[in-house]
Amino acid sequence: MGNDGTGTDLGRFAEPALLIMVSLADGPKHGYAIMTDVDSFGASPIGPGTLYAALARLERRGLIEPLGPEDRRRPYRLTGAGSSALAEHLGEMGRLVQVGHARMRAAQG
Amino acid sequence: MSAPTPAVSAVLRAYPRSWRERYGAEMQALLADREPGWGDLLDLARGALDARLHRLVATPAVLVAAMPRKEFAVPTPPPRPYGVIASPPIGELSRRNFMRRVLGAGAAILALEFVGGTIAFLWPQFRSGLGAKFPIGTLADIVAKQPSFANGWPYAFGPARVFLVNVPAGKELALGREASIPNPSAGELLALWRKCPHLGCQVPALCDELKRFTCRCHGSTYNILGEKLFEGPADRGMSRFAVSIGDDGVVVVDTAQVTAGLLNRGPDALSFVDAAPYERKCR
Repeated sequence: MGNDGTGTDLGRFAEPALLIMVSLADGPKHGYAIMTDVDSFGASPIGPGTLYAALARLERRGLIEPLGPEDRRRPYRLTGAGSSALAEHLGEMGRLVQVGHARMRAAQG
Repeated sequence: MSAPTPAVSAVLRAYPRSWRERYGAEMQALLADREPGWGDLLDLARGALDARLHRLVATPAVLVAAMPRKEFAVPTPPPRPYGVIASPPIGELSRRNFMRRVLGAGAAILALEFVGGTIAFLWPQFRSGLGAKFPIGTLADIVAKQPSFANGWPYAFGPARVFLVNVPAGKELALGREASIPNPSAGELLALWRKCPHLGCQVPALCDELKRFTCRCHGSTYNILGEKLFEGPADRGMSRFAVSIGDDGVVVVDTAQVTAGLLNRGPDALSFVDAAPYERKCR
Protein backbone atom coordinates (compact mmCIF):
# COMPACT_ATOMS: atom_id res chain seq x y z
CA MET A 1 0.00 0.00 0.00
CA GLY A 2 2.72 2.45 -0.87
CA ASN A 3 2.55 4.84 -3.75
CA ASP A 4 -0.13 3.80 -6.21
CA GLY A 5 0.80 6.24 -8.95
CA THR A 6 -1.87 8.85 -8.16
CA GLY A 7 0.81 11.02 -6.60
CA THR A 8 -0.70 10.96 -3.13
CA ASP A 9 1.06 8.78 -0.63
CA LEU A 10 -1.03 7.51 2.23
CA GLY A 11 1.50 8.92 4.70
CA ARG A 12 0.15 9.01 8.23
CA PHE A 13 -3.12 7.57 6.96
CA ALA A 14 -1.54 4.23 6.03
CA GLU A 15 -2.44 2.61 9.33
CA PRO A 16 -6.03 3.88 9.57
CA ALA A 17 -6.50 2.89 5.93
CA LEU A 18 -5.38 -0.65 6.68
CA LEU A 19 -7.69 -0.83 9.71
CA ILE A 20 -10.59 0.42 7.61
CA MET A 21 -9.94 -2.15 4.91
CA VAL A 22 -9.73 -4.92 7.50
CA SER A 23 -12.97 -3.70 8.98
CA LEU A 24 -14.66 -3.74 5.56
CA ALA A 25 -13.32 -7.20 4.78
CA ASP A 26 -16.43 -8.94 6.17
CA GLY A 27 -18.93 -6.66 4.48
CA PRO A 28 -19.98 -3.04 3.86
CA LYS A 29 -20.12 -0.65 6.81
CA HIS A 30 -20.80 3.04 7.28
CA GLY A 31 -18.48 5.46 9.09
CA TYR A 32 -19.70 5.01 12.63
CA ALA A 33 -19.82 1.23 12.26
CA ILE A 34 -16.22 1.25 11.04
CA MET A 35 -15.12 3.27 14.06
CA THR A 36 -16.81 1.01 16.60
CA ASP A 37 -15.58 -2.07 14.73
CA VAL A 38 -11.96 -0.83 14.75
CA ASP A 39 -12.30 -0.08 18.47
CA SER A 40 -13.57 -3.64 18.99
CA PHE A 41 -10.50 -5.31 17.53
CA GLY A 42 -8.30 -3.50 19.90
CA ALA A 43 -6.36 -1.34 17.49
CA SER A 44 -5.73 2.31 18.32
CA PRO A 45 -9.02 4.18 17.84
CA ILE A 46 -9.55 6.34 14.75
CA GLY A 47 -10.99 9.86 15.10
CA PRO A 48 -13.67 11.07 12.69
CA GLY A 49 -11.35 13.44 10.82
CA THR A 50 -8.73 10.73 10.31
CA LEU A 51 -11.40 8.24 9.33
CA TYR A 52 -12.76 10.39 6.53
CA ALA A 53 -9.33 11.51 5.36
CA ALA A 54 -8.39 7.83 5.00
CA LEU A 55 -11.75 6.92 3.42
CA ALA A 56 -11.33 9.68 0.85
CA ARG A 57 -7.88 8.41 -0.07
CA LEU A 58 -9.00 4.81 -0.32
CA GLU A 59 -11.97 5.83 -2.42
CA ARG A 60 -9.84 7.97 -4.69
CA ARG A 61 -7.53 5.11 -5.50
CA GLY A 62 -10.43 2.75 -6.02
CA LEU A 63 -9.73 0.41 -3.13
CA ILE A 64 -13.16 1.02 -1.61
CA GLU A 65 -16.40 2.39 -3.04
CA PRO A 66 -19.45 4.08 -1.56
CA LEU A 67 -22.91 2.47 -1.77
CA GLY A 68 -26.19 4.37 -1.90
CA PRO A 69 -26.88 6.34 1.27
CA GLU A 70 -29.17 4.82 3.92
CA ASP A 71 -30.80 7.60 5.89
CA ARG A 72 -27.76 9.94 5.55
CA ARG A 73 -25.27 7.18 6.52
CA ARG A 74 -23.37 5.92 3.54
CA PRO A 75 -21.87 2.42 3.68
CA TYR A 76 -18.58 1.60 1.96
CA ARG A 77 -17.34 -1.69 0.64
CA LEU A 78 -14.06 -3.09 -0.63
CA THR A 79 -13.67 -3.16 -4.41
CA GLY A 80 -12.05 -6.07 -6.17
CA ALA A 81 -8.82 -4.14 -6.33
CA GLY A 82 -9.19 -3.36 -2.66
CA SER A 83 -9.63 -6.99 -1.69
CA SER A 84 -6.58 -8.09 -3.61
CA ALA A 85 -4.47 -5.20 -2.28
CA LEU A 86 -5.55 -6.06 1.25
CA ALA A 87 -4.84 -9.74 0.75
CA GLU A 88 -1.41 -8.96 -0.61
CA HIS A 89 -0.57 -6.58 2.21
CA LEU A 90 -1.79 -9.00 4.88
CA GLY A 91 0.28 -11.71 3.22
CA GLU A 92 3.36 -9.48 3.44
CA MET A 93 2.65 -8.74 7.06
CA GLY A 94 2.12 -12.44 7.73
CA ARG A 95 5.50 -13.27 6.27
CA LEU A 96 7.07 -10.57 8.40
CA VAL A 97 5.36 -12.01 11.48
CA GLN A 98 6.60 -15.51 10.64
CA VAL A 99 10.16 -14.34 10.09
CA GLY A 100 10.06 -12.36 13.31
CA HIS A 101 8.77 -15.27 15.39
CA ALA A 102 11.25 -17.68 13.82
CA ARG A 103 14.19 -15.43 14.60
CA MET A 104 13.10 -14.87 18.16
CA ARG A 105 12.73 -18.61 18.67
CA ALA A 106 16.17 -19.15 17.18
CA ALA A 107 17.67 -16.54 19.48
CA GLN A 108 16.08 -18.14 22.54
CA GLY A 109 16.77 -21.77 21.54
CA MET B 1 -16.44 15.07 28.07
CA SER B 2 -18.15 16.02 24.86
CA ALA B 3 -17.28 19.04 22.75
CA PRO B 4 -19.89 21.84 22.32
CA THR B 5 -21.99 21.53 19.16
CA PRO B 6 -21.11 25.01 17.79
CA ALA B 7 -17.42 24.10 17.92
CA VAL B 8 -18.10 20.90 16.01
CA SER B 9 -20.09 22.70 13.31
CA ALA B 10 -17.38 25.36 13.09
CA VAL B 11 -14.73 22.71 12.46
CA LEU B 12 -16.96 21.01 9.87
CA ARG B 13 -17.32 24.34 8.10
CA ALA B 14 -13.52 24.51 7.92
CA TYR B 15 -13.53 21.67 5.40
CA PRO B 16 -13.48 22.73 1.74
CA ARG B 17 -16.87 23.08 0.03
CA SER B 18 -16.34 20.18 -2.33
CA TRP B 19 -15.54 17.97 0.65
CA ARG B 20 -18.66 19.02 2.52
CA GLU B 21 -20.82 18.34 -0.51
CA ARG B 22 -19.42 14.86 -0.78
CA TYR B 23 -18.93 13.79 2.87
CA GLY B 24 -20.71 16.41 4.97
CA ALA B 25 -24.01 14.58 5.48
CA GLU B 26 -22.48 11.27 6.46
CA MET B 27 -19.94 12.89 8.78
CA GLN B 28 -22.78 14.69 10.54
CA ALA B 29 -24.67 11.41 10.84
CA LEU B 30 -21.57 9.81 12.35
CA LEU B 31 -21.08 12.66 14.82
CA ALA B 32 -24.75 12.46 15.79
CA ASP B 33 -24.22 8.77 16.65
CA ARG B 34 -20.99 9.30 18.50
CA GLU B 35 -21.23 12.43 20.65
CA PRO B 36 -17.79 13.79 19.71
CA GLY B 37 -15.23 14.63 22.42
CA TRP B 38 -12.43 17.18 22.38
CA GLY B 39 -10.06 14.64 20.87
CA ASP B 40 -12.50 14.16 17.99
CA LEU B 41 -12.65 17.92 17.55
CA LEU B 42 -8.88 18.10 17.23
CA ASP B 43 -8.92 15.15 14.87
CA LEU B 44 -11.54 16.86 12.70
CA ALA B 45 -9.48 20.03 12.63
CA ARG B 46 -6.48 18.07 11.40
CA GLY B 47 -8.72 16.38 8.86
CA ALA B 48 -9.95 19.76 7.63
CA LEU B 49 -6.38 20.98 7.25
CA ASP B 50 -5.49 17.78 5.42
CA ALA B 51 -8.47 18.14 3.11
CA ARG B 52 -7.49 21.72 2.31
CA LEU B 53 -3.89 20.77 1.68
CA HIS B 54 -4.57 17.75 -0.50
CA ARG B 55 -7.87 18.44 -2.29
CA LEU B 56 -8.92 14.83 -2.33
CA VAL B 57 -12.38 15.58 -3.62
CA ALA B 58 -12.50 17.36 -6.94
CA THR B 59 -15.95 16.66 -8.33
CA PRO B 60 -19.25 17.51 -6.62
CA ALA B 61 -21.14 14.55 -5.23
CA VAL B 62 -24.04 14.95 -7.66
CA LEU B 63 -21.78 14.54 -10.68
CA VAL B 64 -19.94 11.64 -9.06
CA ALA B 65 -23.23 9.84 -8.50
CA ALA B 66 -24.21 10.36 -12.13
CA MET B 67 -20.91 9.11 -13.55
CA PRO B 68 -20.50 5.49 -14.53
CA ARG B 69 -18.13 3.88 -12.09
CA LYS B 70 -15.24 1.93 -13.48
CA GLU B 71 -12.88 -0.35 -11.69
CA PHE B 72 -9.50 1.14 -11.12
CA ALA B 73 -6.53 -0.90 -12.09
CA VAL B 74 -4.13 -0.58 -9.20
CA PRO B 75 -0.59 -1.18 -10.35
CA THR B 76 1.24 -3.23 -7.78
CA PRO B 77 4.37 -1.45 -6.64
CA PRO B 78 7.62 -3.35 -6.98
CA PRO B 79 8.60 -4.99 -3.72
CA ARG B 80 10.89 -2.74 -1.75
CA PRO B 81 13.29 -3.91 0.92
CA TYR B 82 12.52 -2.81 4.44
CA GLY B 83 14.34 0.23 5.71
CA VAL B 84 14.81 1.87 2.33
CA ILE B 85 13.04 5.20 2.08
CA ALA B 86 11.78 6.19 -1.32
CA SER B 87 13.33 9.41 -2.55
CA PRO B 88 11.54 11.70 -5.00
CA PRO B 89 12.41 11.55 -8.69
CA ILE B 90 15.56 13.41 -9.67
CA GLY B 91 14.91 17.11 -10.12
CA GLU B 92 11.97 17.17 -7.73
CA LEU B 93 12.02 18.56 -4.24
CA SER B 94 10.93 16.19 -1.53
CA ARG B 95 8.49 17.49 1.05
CA ARG B 96 11.13 17.11 3.74
CA ASN B 97 13.68 19.18 1.85
CA PHE B 98 11.06 21.76 0.97
CA MET B 99 10.10 22.12 4.62
CA ARG B 100 13.77 22.37 5.57
CA ARG B 101 14.33 25.14 3.07
CA VAL B 102 11.24 27.03 4.24
CA LEU B 103 12.43 26.74 7.83
CA GLY B 104 15.93 27.82 6.84
CA ALA B 105 14.63 30.81 4.90
CA GLY B 106 12.44 31.82 7.86
CA ALA B 107 15.38 31.59 10.26
CA ALA B 108 17.53 33.59 7.85
CA ILE B 109 14.91 36.36 7.60
CA LEU B 110 14.60 36.45 11.37
CA ALA B 111 18.37 36.69 11.80
CA LEU B 112 18.55 39.42 9.16
CA GLU B 113 15.84 41.42 10.92
CA PHE B 114 17.68 41.07 14.21
CA VAL B 115 21.02 42.15 12.76
CA GLY B 116 19.40 44.97 10.76
CA GLY B 117 17.51 46.21 13.81
CA THR B 118 20.67 46.19 15.93
CA ILE B 119 22.65 48.11 13.32
CA ALA B 120 19.82 50.62 12.89
CA PHE B 121 19.70 51.06 16.66
CA LEU B 122 23.44 51.64 16.93
CA TRP B 123 23.62 53.91 13.88
CA PRO B 124 24.46 57.53 14.79
CA GLN B 125 21.44 59.76 14.60
CA PHE B 126 21.87 62.66 12.24
CA ARG B 127 19.85 65.66 13.07
CA SER B 128 18.35 68.02 10.62
CA GLY B 129 15.39 70.34 10.80
CA LEU B 130 14.31 71.58 14.20
CA GLY B 131 16.79 70.41 16.84
CA ALA B 132 19.86 70.98 14.67
CA LYS B 133 22.46 73.73 14.83
CA PHE B 134 22.00 76.28 12.05
CA PRO B 135 24.92 78.41 10.87
CA ILE B 136 23.26 81.60 9.63
CA GLY B 137 26.35 83.41 8.36
CA THR B 138 28.58 86.19 9.63
CA LEU B 139 27.05 89.49 10.67
CA ALA B 140 28.56 91.01 7.52
CA ASP B 141 26.72 88.38 5.43
CA ILE B 142 23.46 89.14 7.19
CA VAL B 143 23.80 92.88 6.77
CA ALA B 144 24.75 92.34 3.11
CA LYS B 145 21.55 90.38 2.58
CA GLN B 146 19.36 92.65 4.62
CA PRO B 147 20.91 96.09 5.30
CA SER B 148 18.02 97.05 7.60
CA PHE B 149 19.30 94.44 10.12
CA ALA B 150 21.85 97.05 11.24
CA ASN B 151 18.91 99.43 11.86
CA GLY B 152 17.13 96.90 14.08
CA TRP B 153 14.82 95.11 11.69
CA PRO B 154 14.75 91.38 12.58
CA TYR B 155 16.31 89.00 10.07
CA ALA B 156 14.03 86.07 9.25
CA PHE B 157 15.93 82.80 8.77
CA GLY B 158 13.55 80.19 7.30
CA PRO B 159 15.35 76.86 7.88
CA ALA B 160 15.53 77.47 11.64
CA ARG B 161 12.13 79.22 11.76
CA VAL B 162 13.63 82.15 13.69
CA PHE B 163 13.81 85.90 13.73
CA LEU B 164 17.34 87.02 14.51
CA VAL B 165 16.93 90.25 16.46
CA ASN B 166 19.69 92.83 16.77
CA VAL B 167 18.72 93.90 20.30
CA PRO B 168 20.33 97.37 20.74
CA ALA B 169 19.39 98.50 17.22
CA GLY B 170 15.91 96.91 17.60
CA LYS B 171 15.24 98.84 20.78
CA GLU B 172 16.21 102.09 19.06
CA LEU B 173 13.94 101.20 16.14
CA ALA B 174 10.99 100.44 18.43
CA LEU B 175 11.51 103.74 20.22
CA GLY B 176 11.31 105.52 16.88
CA ARG B 177 14.96 106.46 16.64
CA GLU B 178 17.45 105.93 13.85
CA ALA B 179 20.49 103.82 14.68
CA SER B 180 23.03 101.77 12.81
CA ILE B 181 24.62 99.01 14.82
CA PRO B 182 26.06 96.47 12.36
CA ASN B 183 28.18 94.55 14.92
CA PRO B 184 26.19 93.45 17.95
CA SER B 185 27.87 90.86 20.19
CA ALA B 186 26.48 87.34 20.63
CA GLY B 187 24.82 88.44 23.88
CA GLU B 188 23.05 91.21 21.98
CA LEU B 189 21.45 88.80 19.52
CA LEU B 190 18.10 87.11 20.08
CA ALA B 191 16.82 84.14 18.07
CA LEU B 192 13.04 84.23 18.49
CA TRP B 193 11.22 81.06 17.51
CA ARG B 194 8.50 82.07 15.06
CA LYS B 195 6.06 79.57 16.55
CA CYS B 196 3.37 81.48 18.41
CA PRO B 197 3.23 80.14 21.99
CA HIS B 198 -0.57 80.27 21.83
CA LEU B 199 -1.46 77.60 19.24
CA GLY B 200 1.68 77.37 17.12
CA CYS B 201 0.94 79.60 14.10
CA GLN B 202 3.94 81.12 12.38
CA VAL B 203 4.46 84.65 13.67
CA PRO B 204 4.71 87.11 10.73
CA ALA B 205 7.36 89.81 10.30
CA LEU B 206 7.58 92.93 12.43
CA CYS B 207 4.89 95.41 11.45
CA ASP B 208 6.00 98.79 10.15
CA GLU B 209 3.48 100.75 12.18
CA LEU B 210 4.18 99.66 15.78
CA LYS B 211 7.43 97.68 15.39
CA ARG B 212 5.72 94.73 17.08
CA PHE B 213 4.97 91.13 16.15
CA THR B 214 1.29 90.23 15.89
CA CYS B 215 0.25 86.64 15.20
CA ARG B 216 -2.37 86.57 12.43
CA CYS B 217 -4.25 83.62 13.88
CA HIS B 218 -5.52 85.12 17.13
CA GLY B 219 -3.81 88.48 17.41
CA SER B 220 -1.27 87.70 20.15
CA THR B 221 1.12 90.64 20.16
CA TYR B 222 4.80 90.75 21.19
CA ASN B 223 7.32 93.55 21.39
CA ILE B 224 10.51 93.43 19.37
CA LEU B 225 12.15 91.22 22.06
CA GLY B 226 9.27 88.73 21.76
CA GLU B 227 7.74 89.67 25.13
CA LYS B 228 3.97 89.26 25.32
CA LEU B 229 1.95 92.45 25.38
CA PHE B 230 -1.69 93.01 26.26
CA GLU B 231 -3.33 91.94 23.01
CA GLY B 232 -4.16 88.32 22.22
CA PRO B 233 -4.68 85.00 23.99
CA ALA B 234 -1.06 83.80 24.40
CA ASP B 235 -0.07 83.68 28.06
CA ARG B 236 3.66 84.12 27.55
CA GLY B 237 6.29 85.49 25.18
CA MET B 238 7.96 83.87 22.18
CA SER B 239 10.50 81.13 22.90
CA ARG B 240 14.18 81.73 22.24
CA PHE B 241 16.98 79.55 20.88
CA ALA B 242 20.58 79.79 22.03
CA VAL B 243 22.74 81.99 19.78
CA SER B 244 26.51 81.97 19.54
CA ILE B 245 29.12 83.48 17.29
CA GLY B 246 31.95 81.13 16.32
CA ASP B 247 35.64 81.98 15.94
CA ASP B 248 35.02 82.41 12.21
CA GLY B 249 32.38 85.02 12.99
CA VAL B 250 29.48 82.83 11.90
CA VAL B 251 26.29 83.26 13.89
CA VAL B 252 24.97 79.84 14.95
CA VAL B 253 21.45 79.16 16.24
CA ASP B 254 21.12 75.96 18.26
CA THR B 255 17.46 74.91 17.97
CA ALA B 256 18.00 72.12 20.49
CA GLN B 257 18.43 74.69 23.24
CA VAL B 258 15.11 76.41 23.81
CA THR B 259 14.21 78.91 26.48
CA ALA B 260 10.47 79.21 26.87
CA GLY B 261 9.15 82.75 26.67
CA LEU B 262 8.41 84.39 30.02
CA LEU B 263 4.86 84.49 31.35
CA ASN B 264 2.93 87.66 30.64
CA ARG B 265 2.92 89.52 33.95
CA GLY B 266 1.73 92.89 32.77
CA PRO B 267 3.46 96.06 31.60
CA ASP B 268 5.65 96.43 34.69
CA ALA B 269 7.35 93.07 34.07
CA LEU B 270 8.56 93.90 30.55
CA SER B 271 12.31 94.23 30.11
CA PHE B 272 11.72 96.73 27.32
CA VAL B 273 8.89 99.20 26.75
CA ASP B 274 8.50 100.48 23.22
CA ALA B 275 6.95 103.65 21.96
CA ALA B 276 3.41 102.36 21.32
CA PRO B 277 0.74 101.97 24.04
CA TYR B 278 0.87 98.58 25.84
CA GLU B 279 -2.54 97.36 24.65
CA ARG B 280 -2.22 98.09 20.95
CA LYS B 281 -1.68 95.53 18.23
CA CYS B 282 -0.68 95.74 14.60
CA ARG B 283 -3.45 96.07 12.07
